[in-house]
Amino acid sequence: MSNSTIVGKNHLHLNLSDETIPGGWETLVESDGPATERDCGRIPVVFGNTGRAMPDSTPTAQRPRSDGGTQTPDGGLVQAESLVKRYGSVPVLDDVSFTIKRGITGLLGANGAGKTTVLGLILGLHQPNGGRLEVLGRNPWQAGPEVRARIGYAPEHHTLPPDLQAAEFVRHVAELHGIPPEEAKTRSSDALWLVELGEERFRPMGTMSTGQRQRVKLAQAIAHDPEFVLLDEPTDGLDPTQREVMLELIGSLHKDFGMNIVLSSHLIDEVERVCDRAVIIGGGRTMAEGTVAELRGTAAETVTAEIDADPDQMVALVAALRGSGLSVRTDGRRLTLAVDDRSDSAVDKALDELRDRCLDHDLGIVRLGRRRLSLEDVFLEHLR
Amino acid sequence: MTDGPPAPPEPQERARIYDQGFRRYHGARTGVGGAVRSLVKHSLRQSLGIGRSARYKLVPLPIIFMAFVPAIGLIALAALIPVGTEDFLPTYAEYYALVVAALYLFAGLVCPELLCNDRRTGMLGVYLASPLDRPRYLLGKALSVMLLLLVVTLGPPLLTLIAFTLQNEGPDGFGQWITVFLRILASSAVVGAIYGAVGLAISASTDRRVVATATILSVIPGSAIVTDILVNDGGMSPVLRLANVMFLPRALVHRIHAERGGWPLGENPTWTLWLAFFGWLALSAGWIWYSYRDLVVQR
Repeated sequence: MSNSTIVGKNHLHLNLSDETIPGGWETLVESDGPATERDCGRIPVVFGNTGRAMPDSTPTAQRPRSDGGTQTPDGGLVQAESLVKRYGSVPVLDDVSFTIKRGITGLLGANGAGKTTVLGLILGLHQPNGGRLEVLGRNPWQAGPEVRARIGYAPEHHTLPPDLQAAEFVRHVAELHGIPPEEAKTRSSDALWLVELGEERFRPMGTMSTGQRQRVKLAQAIAHDPEFVLLDEPTDGLDPTQREVMLELIGSLHKDFGMNIVLSSHLIDEVERVCDRAVIIGGGRTMAEGTVAELRGTAAETVTAEIDADPDQMVALVAALRGSGLSVRTDGRRLTLAVDDRSDSAVDKALDELRDRCLDHDLGIVRLGRRRLSLEDVFLEHLR
Repeated sequence: MTDGPPAPPEPQERARIYDQGFRRYHGARTGVGGAVRSLVKHSLRQSLGIGRSARYKLVPLPIIFMAFVPAIGLIALAALIPVGTEDFLPTYAEYYALVVAALYLFAGLVCPELLCNDRRTGMLGVYLASPLDRPRYLLGKALSVMLLLLVVTLGPPLLTLIAFTLQNEGPDGFGQWITVFLRILASSAVVGAIYGAVGLAISASTDRRVVATATILSVIPGSAIVTDILVNDGGMSPVLRLANVMFLPRALVHRIHAERGGWPLGENPTWTLWLAFFGWLALSAGWIWYSYRDLVVQR
């Protein structure tokens, strides 16, 4: 088994011998424990629990960077306080404050909410009319080139130079961000293989489908190994299957390579699916910010019930429930209880109250449900 | 005397990773200078159709060939005619009159290709999201245009100089040779700069390549026609001829080579020609900056 060669999915070729691996090759293949790091010469290699060599996935936070990566004072990548941006006399952002931390952050808002303007401010392309913005510890308007060298950006538009090969495009963008030409050539191929366009990398982009062009944009955003990546509507124009592939790719960039990502989208479910945190923007203001779980927790949980009652009985029941301190809405025979405290005990208490008041009025409950809140509910609630 | 075979290396030292696929990058970065170099390299490849299908080479390569044809013809002629009878051959300054069509055609091709396309295809947004800012982006584009125009302004006269020298018909002595060489260099820079500046200024005004090309190809010869009508038929001051962007660089080339001539600006004083030259450059640069300073990148 000496000098075995592994050709893995991620193109990891190792020339290994029994002596290289303590315990021998068989031990490695049969290992089913947690992932372990073994020192392979002077190069650390991470082996998965199936014995397959995996990409070096040490999170960025643990890696030294040649350019001295920095964070904002509170450890965030981006910190915005009361940002104001106007185009002429038209206000786009009025009072936007948020912190983008490591991980995947969703920037959520309706079309025209100002998400792309926020990305432009982060890149230092626009000067804010007010407020304070720090990106990687610097003011992006004053230190634009230095900041942009450390950010990857995938724009929203689909129009890329049609005559240009994907590999040449990705290589060029990597070179623009400071990767030396030979290294950029290698990295462009690697990035395109990663987004599953390895076989297509020499095709002119004008002959590619929308899904493939979106993946090319993702590849060019990551090829220079940025500290974080801004993705502007990366699933725009994709069919459901392509959307799945794109979201999986985005998730794996963070999971496997420790990349920090800002995902700008108006699609709530994709933010909910791949993001750790979210910032909701609307009406030129920050409407909510936090982890996805926290954001779900900012809205009231709802209990819905259909009661077997005539209108007079419903009026009496609602009055009784409100008398118990519950927030109640009615729609014919249906009523909705809003529970601000989303703990199970609070919801149980509301249910008990509803049951007791129905008993008091000799009313039957036809249907009862507890609605699990999604980020969409939070979004809609903030919009209201 | 030997100590026996060397000890085999430790197993860990023999382990090698040949290809790891996508990975993090911890090497040195080239900075903003590298970004400008990459922009120039990419622009040159784009304009010449390098790395693209044959149809992208169909226009630039024949124009470059057009610029070299007179030089090749002159070299052949000089080789065929008897020594001492070559007086009828054009001087280095007069050479530009033979290729002026190729020069402004090339300017009309490359300037819109480099500026309009970036706005139309969204590449401008990609560039401005990189370490390049607007001044550096425009500087890179101007350098690219200058280098491309030097192919047609410098290449043919330089080829002629070298060929004549090899045929023993070049300048007399090393000092004279260097003088001619520097004059060719300066002439090429002047012609390239003015056509490039005007071409870029027009291209900065639109994202439609065809519109920009048509405008460049109209404005450059149009300036010659209009100034000629105004001065000759309208009886206006010959100073107006300084607005003749088609022939202004040719007149300057004659002055650089210490020759009179350069019709129709032959009678204008040299300093006014230089003033007009730098005026055109400043006007073009100002217009380009005005067009890009507040340009909102939509894509």
